[in-house]
Amino acid sequence: MNEKKLQKPTLSYQLKRDWIRNRSLYILVIPVLLFYILFHYKPMYGAIIAFKDYTPALGVKDSPWIGLDNFIRFFKSVYFGRLIKNTILLSVYSLIFGFPAPIILALLLNEVRNKRFKNLTQTITYLPHFISLIVVTGMLTDFSMTSGLFNDIIEFFGGQRSPLLQNPNLYRTMYVASGIWQQVGWGSIIYLSALAGVDQQLYEAASIDGAGKWKQLLNVTLPGIAPTIIIMLIMRVGQLMSMGYEKTILLYNPSTYDTADIISSYIYRVGLLEQDWSYSTAVGLFNSVINFCLLILTNKISKKFSETSLW
Amino acid sequence: MKKRNLAWMMAIAMAAVSAAGCSGPGGSTTTETTKAATSETTAAAGETAPAAPAEFSYPMAAGEKLQYWCELTTTVSANFSNLGDTPFGQGWQKNTGAEIEFLHPPTGQMKEQFSLILADGNLPDLMEYNWTVDYPGGPEKAIKDGVIIPLNDVFAQYCPNITQYLAENPEIDRMIKTDEGHYYVFPFIRGDENLMNTIGLMVRQDWLEELNMEVPTTMDEWHEVLTAFKNEKGCTAPYSFEYTNGQYLGADPFVAAYGVNRSFYLGSDNKVHFGATEPGFKEYLTTMNQWYSEGLIDPDLATLKSDQISAKITNGQAGASMGQAGSRMGTWTTAARSTTPEFKLVPAPVPTLEKGGQAEMGYIENPFSGRASVAITTSCKDIERAARLMDWAYGEEGHMYFNFGIEGESYTMVDNYPTYTEQILNNPDGLPVSQAMSAYIRGNYNGPFVQDIRYLEQYYTMEEQRLTPGVWGQCNGAAHTMPPITPTSDESKEFSTIMNEINTYRDEMILKFIFGTESVDNFDTYVKNIENMGLERALEIQNAALERYNSR
Amino acid sequence: MKIKRSKGEQTFQVFNYVFLTLIIAICFYPVWYVAMASFSNSNLLTQHTGLLFKPAGFSIDAYKKVFQNPMISRGYLNTLFILVVGVILDLIMTSLGAYFLSRKRVLFKKPVMLFIVFTMFFSGGMIPFYINLRELHLTNTLWGLIIPFMINTSNLIILRTAFESIPESLIEAAQIDGAGHFRILSTIVIPLSKAMLAVMVLYYGVSIWNSWFWASAILRNREMYPLQIILREILLSNDTSSMTAGTSAMDTEAIGMTIKYATIMVATIPILCVYPFLQKYFTKGTMVGAVKE
Repeated sequence: MNEKKLQKPTLSYQLKRDWIRNRSLYILVIPVLLFYILFHYKPMYGAIIAFKDYTPALGVKDSPWIGLDNFIRFFKSVYFGRLIKNTILLSVYSLIFGFPAPIILALLLNEVRNKRFKNLTQTITYLPHFISLIVVTGMLTDFSMTSGLFNDIIEFFGGQRSPLLQNPNLYRTMYVASGIWQQVGWGSIIYLSALAGVDQQLYEAASIDGAGKWKQLLNVTLPGIAPTIIIMLIMRVGQLMSMGYEKTILLYNPSTYDTADIISSYIYRVGLLEQDWSYSTAVGLFNSVINFCLLILTNKISKKFSETSLW
Repeated sequence: MKKRNLAWMMAIAMAAVSAAGCSGPGGSTTTETTKAATSETTAAAGETAPAAPAEFSYPMAAGEKLQYWCELTTTVSANFSNLGDTPFGQGWQKNTGAEIEFLHPPTGQMKEQFSLILADGNLPDLMEYNWTVDYPGGPEKAIKDGVIIPLNDVFAQYCPNITQYLAENPEIDRMIKTDEGHYYVFPFIRGDENLMNTIGLMVRQDWLEELNMEVPTTMDEWHEVLTAFKNEKGCTAPYSFEYTNGQYLGADPFVAAYGVNRSFYLGSDNKVHFGATEPGFKEYLTTMNQWYSEGLIDPDLATLKSDQISAKITNGQAGASMGQAGSRMGTWTTAARSTTPEFKLVPAPVPTLEKGGQAEMGYIENPFSGRASVAITTSCKDIERAARLMDWAYGEEGHMYFNFGIEGESYTMVDNYPTYTEQILNNPDGLPVSQAMSAYIRGNYNGPFVQDIRYLEQYYTMEEQRLTPGVWGQCNGAAHTMPPITPTSDESKEFSTIMNEINTYRDEMILKFIFGTESVDNFDTYVKNIENMGLERALEIQNAALERYNSR
Repeated sequence: MKIKRSKGEQTFQVFNYVFLTLIIAICFYPVWYVAMASFSNSNLLTQHTGLLFKPAGFSIDAYKKVFQNPMISRGYLNTLFILVVGVILDLIMTSLGAYFLSRKRVLFKKPVMLFIVFTMFFSGGMIPFYINLRELHLTNTLWGLIIPFMINTSNLIILRTAFESIPESLIEAAQIDGAGHFRILSTIVIPLSKAMLAVMVLYYGVSIWNSWFWASAILRNREMYPLQIILREILLSNDTSSMTAGTSAMDTEAIGMTIKYATIMVATIPILCVYPFLQKYFTKGTMVGAVKE
């Protein structure tokens, strides 16, 4: 880029030179671009049905334009406040508890001297990641029954049996905890590799300076893996509002809608069970826009306070 | 990476992309497909019109394969992955001469897949669905949306059998039309009163005898019985039923006991009412909440699925339930008797509040409920072929075939009575009756034909099953069942928007009231909220629809 | 490392081992429970309360039923097809994209990068996506579960980072020898990124293995169902009828409970067996990704 500035070549010259040098490279990338156009940008165009009263017989193009009606309907909907609140709370809880968990696990694992024990822990904590969501939710549903495993344990500790998945107050706990259970080991991999990359000499220097484990953690380890943590955090926050519907629709029931119903499950219900395609797409679009703003915002903040950012 | 530079470029790229999106490849493809589709339909219309139905006989000459979309019921999917693989499906094609490609959604995903199929407007030729109730906005909207075709001309031209049937049964003829007078489906029709009350309460007779109790008929008696089951028999879930099954919710006899319904019903004043906001419903919730807190109702109510209930009933954790006489009472009894020979379930009538007398409400279906009825879609190219295929079931030959299967294989005529063979009733491969039946007939589950009572007479093998129509029919429910009314296509969008919101809220609140997470004292707030969602407007639309229906 | 450890440090070590052991137990026990339950006698299992360390009674009837169910084996075959073909195509496409983005001195690299990254945070939504699939004739075919999901953008970025770490001199040398980009990609870049590609296999493999929604949305033919759809029917719609067929009613009830657990085992064990072999690669591979990102 710097050379370019020095030479200040004309645009057409640049294009020409680029074409000569990279022609075969551009040919290689055509299938990739085609993929993105066909499977990402084309559906984005299709999302204009959010501003239309979409009728399949008329097609996307010819359905009547209704402007922002669908969005206004969503803002006015009785469920608007609850959906936003549930989505944010569930995401924030997932973030608060789910985000540090793999970091802590990685830090603890890093302290383990016994190689075999370390390997065993890794192998076993990765294991739930390979169990499919369908199976995990199936197990969870079964275990949460009054006669299920969880209640057996609760009763063992002197608690009262109750149907756990029917209690709106427990829903978020169940959702977040099962998420951590499934992803904690897997998520720790990236931090473990970051930890392996921290310069060992720094530790030695620190211990010569008389820093204890705790001090070393604060002054050497954490700064060492901070860039990784920040990148991961930005990615997570950027997707704060994009909680998928899959797990929710597999886990919730009307008695827990109060805390369980989130924007994406609402989109699913409205779009697929009530066949209100335009409205469902409008809600989705609204969600996407919020996501995008969040991403830009966090990136800005992170840029301000640290050197790391996504771009 | 140069950070600032990149952010700037990103903005440009975004703008460029959204501009490109509007005029880009997406746009042109859509138009092409639509055009292609339109030209196909017009071509098809041109072909079919001149075909004169003068001398027609089955089987039809070979022609294009028809796509037929329907849910594959579990008694079929247990042994077959496609309806076309069953003896029923093969025989149907052979007899009519129409080749069919059956398409099925996954179990429990029918509505989702239906929406998606509809969303792009490229449909299978024939779709089996509840077009009356489950198509948002109703059948007339489906016709206006260009999803299905009105069948009046089709019936007249190609369907002598159903035309004759409708002429002989004017009350059914009225039911299967829209207000505008359009026929829209090949209907599923229950051909006998006793086929219309197939869901009801059942209770462990052997326990009642042991405890010296009678079959409960009032809510108070039910309370005593369930309490006794809990205390004396150690039930953890004295009353358990499949709460997640929408059909059962609509049929709930305990709601009926309070003279209301969960949803719309026809009041004695001949007006449409919404049961879930009426005072009777509050009483129902109060009772249920009390029972729930006393441990008389299954604590896992909201998440229960059928196999868990089967397990509870058969191993004595539950003593009473609700369901069909065939697939529930019969199956459970057979299963439980292997370990508990004295196990016996008997039907109980819709409970009343006072002793004696008969319940006013109760679950009795219309002969035509809309369920499993087949519409011809606008994508169908050979309408005559599709119509002929469907019409066959309403003729003499087709009627026997749909209800009894293949003569000599699945049934034989004994004294002019179609009697199922051993193949069905005592399957050599050990299949349960319901599964053996499902391989040969559609009589034991819904479909586009007229259901025959003689199927049920043989399907009910136990004495107590045969009692069910009499016991469950002891109510005036038929007078309160909503006729298949339909909103006008203008009102339909408004109606479905209102009702979607109300139903979600209602389902949620009912459970909260029952579980006690919300006090029943807040019932008035709940009613007010529903009213704010536009209940009055919905009732207005329904009543107008009812008036139109009555004047058909 | 023979540094003397302080007392505090020793306590920490002890605590650490105990804590990690607890985590192992929590991660492992549910799986163990399912395994033991699947070998149990259903009647004894329903009566059993509390933790299960060995099967309650012993019976392999449930497994017999699961293996007799033709849908399970068919589901496996379909999933295997999607998995193998899908992963291969995914790798090819992702490599092409990652290679392009890892090259230096390419005029349109940044616009392309933005074009791609944008899709990570903005999408058209479910319904437009489906309509698009139908227009492309990708419904009711297994290809509809493969082609639209060929590139996962975050995987693409990770792979790009790995490709960037390959010494430029190697590539330049090849260019001087007259090698085209395709040759360079297939003979230099890919062989040098094996560890990272193994990680990609795992990432794509797991997501294909897990996916179910689009399969249930676009397939109309039961013969095409991947394993997860069948699992869903059995576990969540509680439809065990397909497996209790052909047994007497008594057996039906007796096995009903354990069939679910046996199904879970049958559907999970294969993938659990595969991953330890890949484990050594992905520890190496993610390291490259992490350090550079």
